[in-house]
Amino acid sequence: MTYIAGVDIGNSTTEVCIGEATLDKNIHFLSSASCPTTGTKGTLENTHGIQTALKLALNKIGLDTQSLSLIRLNEAAPVIGDTAMETLTETIITDSSMIGHNPSTPAGVGQATGYIISIDNLSSIEKGKDYIVSASNLHSYDEIAQKINIASKAFHIVGAILQADEAVLVKNRLEQEIPIIDEVTHIEKLPDGVLAAIEVALPGQSIRMLSNPYGIATLLKLSAKQTQSITPIAKSLIGKRSAVVLKTPSGNIRENMLPAGEIYFEAENPSSIHLDEGAEKIMEAVANAGKIQDIHGQKNTNVGNMFSRIKHGMGELDDISKTDIHITDILAVDTMAPVLISGALAGETCLEKAIGIAAMVKTQQLPMQKIAQQLHRELNVPVIVAGVEAVMASLGAITTPGTTLPLAILDMGGGSTDAAVITEEGHVTLTHQAGAGELVSMLIQTELGLKDRHIAEQIKKYPLAKVESLFHMRMESGEMHFVENSIDPRFYGRVILITENGFIRIEEDIPMEKIVQVRRDAKQKVFITNALRALKKVAPMENLKKITNVVLVGGSAEDFEIPEMLMQELAQYRIVCGRGNIRGTQGPRNAVATGLVLSYLGGQHDS
Amino acid sequence: MIVKKPSILIYTQKAAPEVLKEICAGIEEEGIFYEILELPDQCMEKLAYKAARDSMLGSGIGIFQTAICLKMIGLEKGKNIEAYKTPSKQQARNLGCNSARAVKKQAFKLTNF
Repeated sequence: MTYIAGVDIGNSTTEVCIGEATLDKNIHFLSSASCPTTGTKGTLENTHGIQTALKLALNKIGLDTQSLSLIRLNEAAPVIGDTAMETLTETIITDSSMIGHNPSTPAGVGQATGYIISIDNLSSIEKGKDYIVSASNLHSYDEIAQKINIASKAFHIVGAILQADEAVLVKNRLEQEIPIIDEVTHIEKLPDGVLAAIEVALPGQSIRMLSNPYGIATLLKLSAKQTQSITPIAKSLIGKRSAVVLKTPSGNIRENMLPAGEIYFEAENPSSIHLDEGAEKIMEAVANAGKIQDIHGQKNTNVGNMFSRIKHGMGELDDISKTDIHITDILAVDTMAPVLISGALAGETCLEKAIGIAAMVKTQQLPMQKIAQQLHRELNVPVIVAGVEAVMASLGAITTPGTTLPLAILDMGGGSTDAAVITEEGHVTLTHQAGAGELVSMLIQTELGLKDRHIAEQIKKYPLAKVESLFHMRMESGEMHFVENSIDPRFYGRVILITENGFIRIEEDIPMEKIVQVRRDAKQKVFITNALRALKKVAPMENLKKITNVVLVGGSAEDFEIPEMLMQELAQYRIVCGRGNIRGTQGPRNAVATGLVLSYLGGQHDS
Repeated sequence: MIVKKPSILIYTQKAAPEVLKEICAGIEEEGIFYEILELPDQCMEKLAYKAARDSMLGSGIGIFQTAICLKMIGLEKGKNIEAYKTPSKQQARNLGCNSARAVKKQAFKLTNF
């Protein structure tokens, strides 16, 4: 018996396929498996992942690595995807001057202007002035209400700001109704004697005065010049249920444009473009540049640092001299990132313009031969490097039922989107484009302001639901799902991800609709743009209409909505497009590994 | 016709006043009505179960001395939203808040989970 293993090392996963070559020159596929790639693609660390995946696949059929006759590695394209994010604007508030937040239960309604006075200093209160009382959580709601009630008999108390979540409790005990804001964490930062304006919106509405520059000007009696400088505050308070704005004499708010820098293209048509022109213009420049040899950024600017970081990272991995590393393609995407405002009191964020970039890094040659030798030493099985990745992927893709030549494949992985077209004569044209699954994760993470990348990856992969009672949830499609046994109270009222291993709770308080929108937008921005870009490059005469069939393969083709998005988009060009089903059983994965095993037959003829 | 106000029910047996006060404050802050009733049962879970069953909002709290328990209608025996033998002030306050959040379909305030 001759057992052949095909091994495909990808940016994020390593896939293997085991086949048995029979004497009548046929291949029987026996097993396949995949596991995360260890280390960066194309480095010696990959061997660990390869061995794990091989063992997984062989265990399924009761064999061990010794029974293999040959391992065929893919000649991985020497391109590696990387991503980076840069904000283009930043809002700086010196001398903290605003609080705008959404406590779940503020109390009272309306707006008020007055001087801040701490509840401990009520004895120094003066007649004829309006006051807003601030109280830390050391004071109970009974005490605060009592003190305000006594003070308001002789003085003007127009509002209150509390640290504890007790606004309603205080309001219910006051004799007169005033707007009260609570859950202000850093109440100690509110200075006494400063003029402040507070506003609590009507139930179901958001604030109107403080989210309007002229409203703030009216309440705090600002000059035209001061009003101009307060605009970023008003902007960041839009949509809040309650807010405080302080008038600090030295306070200053600026919206800075960061020195973003220029991108230079060393290409057929050398050109350059400013980063702050936005993603659309950058992508136009990429398209017009023709064949790109290298891309770099203006020195000592954000974009310059970003590109040198990517190149440096690659250089470190594999002792390749920096001059041998080229960025041959980029995908730029406009995005908004919620950034913590420096100087804010209650951890407020401001949406800043940002740009996400995925880069395709090309090195001279990945040391696949070294990996093969290392693997041979460790397993004592012959290992050869066979076949170009895209050709192998095409070979694998043809095993999808219902396909025929000529055929285009779109391989959407973690780091790059690759396209290839095979003609009936077996001639292959291929391209690698920067930007795939990892860029989508990065966009989701930044736009939702998530703390870690892991949860962003999960959001990308799984559909959402909102737990509405202990016995039912509403899916993102609107469908209601009822369960027999009560759902864990930890998930109650929250947005969750439905995975094969149970639920994952999203810690951040973001509405489900917003998450769905961000997720879909990110996928559209990356995959639709890239699919069209890639297919155009490989299409005969660069005309998309000359392509009739597209098979989607790779990890991102397994996604629950990307293939549908692409199908809709490509239907406009009358292209039949669908998720591949390798060998009729594997879904869109395992194309390259399958191709490698299949190509063993061809290889035998050669020798 | 007798019209019952939609309220969270608190069934008690010799409730510790400081615990009861914090629970009531928690519910009040969230802006929901509550009613307190003394029952002869001596088990916080039993009290909570009955309270949740009787409340038209489906949210009930049982207090036996200092022990407190929050249940929602339909929850099986042995399954509570939260329960404490001797709660801290904050735990009692949050349990009150959570009984109201259960009604408002909001996520619970986290103290022990």
